[in-house]
Amino acid sequence: MSFQVKIGLLVALVALVAIVGLIWKARTGKAKQVDSGNRVNLAELAIVKDGKTVTELSTRVTFLQFSTDFCTFCGPTAKMLQTLEKSDPNVTHLEINVTDRLDLVKKYNIMQTPLTLVLDQRGEIQSRISGAPKAHTLVTEIGNFDI
Amino acid sequence: MAQNTQIDPRGPRFGATITNVLSAIIFFEALDKSTEGVAAALFAVAAVLFLIGTVFGTSRHPFGWLFRTFVKPRLSAPKELEDARPPQFAQAVGLFVSVIGLVLFLAQVPYGLAIAAAALFLASALQAYVGFCLGCQMYLGLRRLGVFKA
Repeated sequence: MSFQVKIGLLVALVALVAIVGLIWKARTGKAKQVDSGNRVNLAELAIVKDGKTVTELSTRVTFLQFSTDFCTFCGPTAKMLQTLEKSDPNVTHLEINVTDRLDLVKKYNIMQTPLTLVLDQRGEIQSRISGAPKAHTLVTEIGNFDI
Repeated sequence: MAQNTQIDPRGPRFGATITNVLSAIIFFEALDKSTEGVAAALFAVAAVLFLIGTVFGTSRHPFGWLFRTFVKPRLSAPKELEDARPPQFAQAVGLFVSVIGLVLFLAQVPYGLAIAAAALFLASALQAYVGFCLGCQMYLGLRRLGVFKA
């Protein structure tokens, strides 16, 4: 193989990196509306928050975050949503680690974490946010709730 | 949940940069029959490095040591820390890819080594320059396919 062809292939690889990187940056953290009407089942999720099993959702907006042990952005996402929860009484943040809950991974069709589901007061899924949510995405999502 | 080890996220990204340069060299050398042996030898070195990272974590990896000794003292304090487990998992994915590459080389599959090196180049570049951990991203997908158990 000639030197030029090899350099050309290397350049093509670099271009591929740029394309994948740009696509990921553009898509991650954005909300996708869901109109399936599906509701989450709190009993099945068995989320423990502050040492207690969660049995109630927010009367307004709940951000349900799915995390795993091998997730770069789960920690920062949790921190971000907790800050939001503290500053806005309409918002509740719930987090569940699904590393050992393959049943939930399949049920909610989770391909990557963090995945955040935006729930209304009945637990109906309004939208899905894949990756670390962008700040303006969260503002828009809360705005959709007509609070 | 137990408190997990937190590390400076710039450490793994620094390591990924070196891995990226190494994988570019391997890719380049693997394209020619005459230099394929050199590429395979370098790939074996990469595999050993990934093995160290997989078993001991990225902090106790040679690149982690380089980062702590020569790079970190010149940087400001990290804005935030990250969990040590995702980059460690990514090391395991890197190990898997380099073993596949070496197996393809030994089986004399044409360009097998080059393709594995290209995969390594892609993943390490995304980690180093974009901050996107491809190995971590694959975790749930692999679990769902039943490739491995927790």
